[in-house]
Amino acid sequence: MRILPITGILLVVLAAGCSNGKKAVPESTAQAEPQATTAPAAQPPAPPVEPIAPVAPEPQPQAAVIAEPTRAEPGSQPETPPTEPTPKPSPPKVAAEKPAVSEPAPVAPAPAPAKPEAPPPPPAAKPSTPTLDVNALKEKLKETKAIGVFTKLTLKNQVDDLLQQFRAYYQAKQKRDIATLRQAYDMLVLKVLSLVQDGDPTLARTIAASREAIWAMLADPVKFNTLM
Amino acid sequence: MIKPAHAPALFFLLSALAAGPATAAGDPALLKDLTSVILLLGLPCGQVVSATRLADNDHVATCSNGTRYRVFVNQDGRVVAEKQ
Repeated sequence: MRILPITGILLVVLAAGCSNGKKAVPESTAQAEPQATTAPAAQPPAPPVEPIAPVAPEPQPQAAVIAEPTRAEPGSQPETPPTEPTPKPSPPKVAAEKPAVSEPAPVAPAPAPAKPEAPPPPPAAKPSTPTLDVNALKEKLKETKAIGVFTKLTLKNQVDDLLQQFRAYYQAKQKRDIATLRQAYDMLVLKVLSLVQDGDPTLARTIAASREAIWAMLADPVKFNTLM
Repeated sequence: MIKPAHAPALFFLLSALAAGPATAAGDPALLKDLTSVILLLGLPCGQVVSATRLADNDHVATCSNGTRYRVFVNQDGRVVAEKQ
């Protein structure tokens, strides 16, 4: 007669102990241990399963936050994962605790975060269009209001100096190598871009896009002579 | 004592005196232009905080680090910044 209440109390105590242990384990950021603790809880009677269900939702976000950044790091997009990960990881945890059959459902949303990270390719398509019209570029630089008259004149002087160096290089008057000229050219382009990018972003983009095409003209003696 | 009839004339005189240097020194576009020129020429400046116009295409720029440069276009058409 007394055995029934005692076993009842024992079961309640065991269930309470399991539920408390479940709370503590996820906070310590261990995923393998919760599964171990839930396994014994599932073996005893059905009632202990009910307290586990309400307890699970609390640690889920924590586990999600921990798990997602590791996936996001190789993806190289830190901003997007924090928003999406919280809702998605919840299914995997439930699946891990109760049945192993319901895993396919969480697996399907998992590829979803990878898709939003795909958009970066479009920028790669832009530079592939080399637009070069030297005269138009000159006119745009002359007409832009992003830089003042003194600055334009100074830039023109520096461009002329660089062209003079190229001329000397091709006439073998100067012992500069092409790498030095390339460095000077890059510096000059960077100067122009830094001056223009705030006031005239369109022109800055055009110059940046034409950078290699202009260099190709300068680096080829035949094309360079046609320029002069 | 200043008579009331002279007050407007005095006001205009003082405003003209105050406005002259302010336009030369406070034009943000010119200050930015001079800053860009000095930096393009590779000279230490920081930022041009004021400028005084000496002639066409001839200014004295005062930098935030205290340095003063005369920025002008020479006879060859080159922009030159001379430390003062």
